[in-house]
Amino acid sequence: MRGLLVGLAATVVLQACANQAQAPAKVAEVAPVEVKPAAVWPAGLPQDALYNPEGKNKTTWPQPVKNSGELKYNEHARDLSKWITRSSDDMRSSIMPMKVSLNGAPLNGDAARGKEIAMNTGRGNCWACHALPGDAQPGSSGPSLIGFKSRGYSDDMVYQFVYDRRAVNPNTVMPPFGAIGNLNDQEVRDVVAFLQSLN
Amino acid sequence: MKNLKISLSALMLISSGFAALPCAAEPFREYATDATSTPPSANKDHTNTYQYWKDRANLPTMNGTDEWKLNWKFRDRPGNDQLHGGDEAYDRGEMLYKKLNADGNFSACIGSKDGNLKGVRLMYPSYSEAAKKVVGMEAVIEQCAAKQNMKLMNGSYDNSAVSIYVASFSNSMPMKIDVSQGPLKESFERGKTAFNLKAGRNNLACASCHVNMVGNNLRGQTPTTMYGDATHWPTWRGKDELQSLHVRLTECDRNAGVQPLKIGSMTYTDIEVYLSALSNGYPMLVPSMRD
Repeated sequence: MRGLLVGLAATVVLQACANQAQAPAKVAEVAPVEVKPAAVWPAGLPQDALYNPEGKNKTTWPQPVKNSGELKYNEHARDLSKWITRSSDDMRSSIMPMKVSLNGAPLNGDAARGKEIAMNTGRGNCWACHALPGDAQPGSSGPSLIGFKSRGYSDDMVYQFVYDRRAVNPNTVMPPFGAIGNLNDQEVRDVVAFLQSLN
Repeated sequence: MKNLKISLSALMLISSGFAALPCAAEPFREYATDATSTPPSANKDHTNTYQYWKDRANLPTMNGTDEWKLNWKFRDRPGNDQLHGGDEAYDRGEMLYKKLNADGNFSACIGSKDGNLKGVRLMYPSYSEAAKKVVGMEAVIEQCAAKQNMKLMNGSYDNSAVSIYVASFSNSMPMKIDVSQGPLKESFERGKTAFNLKAGRNNLACASCHVNMVGNNLRGQTPTTMYGDATHWPTWRGKDELQSLHVRLTECDRNAGVQPLKIGSMTYTDIEVYLSALSNGYPMLVPSMRD
């Protein structure tokens, strides 16, 4: 009998949770993309995302067309749906700050490939914020990286900085490139090798 | 029977255990700034540039590296008197408005009491009893145009054109939305949270650049303050595109690596409310152009 009562209490809790999960009421809007099979809409992606599950890159964006009352929807260069959006309905978690280490193993990065990532707006885009050698319009939002090698950071530290700077400075603006899955582990290592080559 | 009772309650416990997990923990969130720190009015304390751009008619002369301190107001009239795509949109907006308002119902629908459009733009964003949510003026234009059998999708060129025409009757009148109570206060608070929320593949908030990096270079660009920015929308962009504020927000999000949201969505409307409140006291001016 007691077991049954506990079970009932648990059911009440379960009910409360279900209500909580459904909390934000949906108001019908003019949907630019018809969402047909619910199964292909990614779990946790809020319904107000501009997302076409049947598109090539999924993430879409609206373009006004001159002298028209309609919007044209284009595909973004990549699928952005796996990261959290600004929507109040988005209940997914951000990625927690992550401590990483090379654990004494060699870095195994390629400086030339790292440069291709760092000085490329569509990839690492390090140069948006940091000055790098050879950039005619250097970013100044982060510290200059010119002569970075002379600052004497170990590969292990720089690997942490690029992988997830938040583990060192919780107030940083710098994206946690490795932790958030923006760059893969090898790409992070390549960027570190590039930075450690900057005399 | 006893066995059945036990297994039934055990099943309930197990299933509730699974279901309770995701709702027990709040999602992990990071914010760019203290979300409570920004006062809701055009404020000279943020970036200390208000002194330069508060008076559009008398902007000081700034050279290239200091130009950002004018908060792009040098693109506005009277300092910049060139004709641009926004003027073309205004003309089309006037034509469409006259068609829409042939029987006088459209102007009443968007909130004019006597057919006069003066001050109508300043009523938005507002809480709509009919829609049971906060709406921007472009969302209302879409709804009211539909009643006249005209499709003006929120964010479309023609919707923005009508928005510019209607807003022009409020030119030089200061923005004044009341976010001190009710649904607009809730919307303002949500908008502030969304503006400060780190999101997307770069973990960036709007505030990461427009608060933390104001005046610094992002290669060829210099982020400016978000104060006093809501009074010139929709605007004509130099890439030859007429953009409503919500369309611009989808571009902001994409540029920062964040999955964009629907035009007219609650969150974009909340950000519009937040930015509008941060423009309180600053005068409307359309048509406008920006890079």
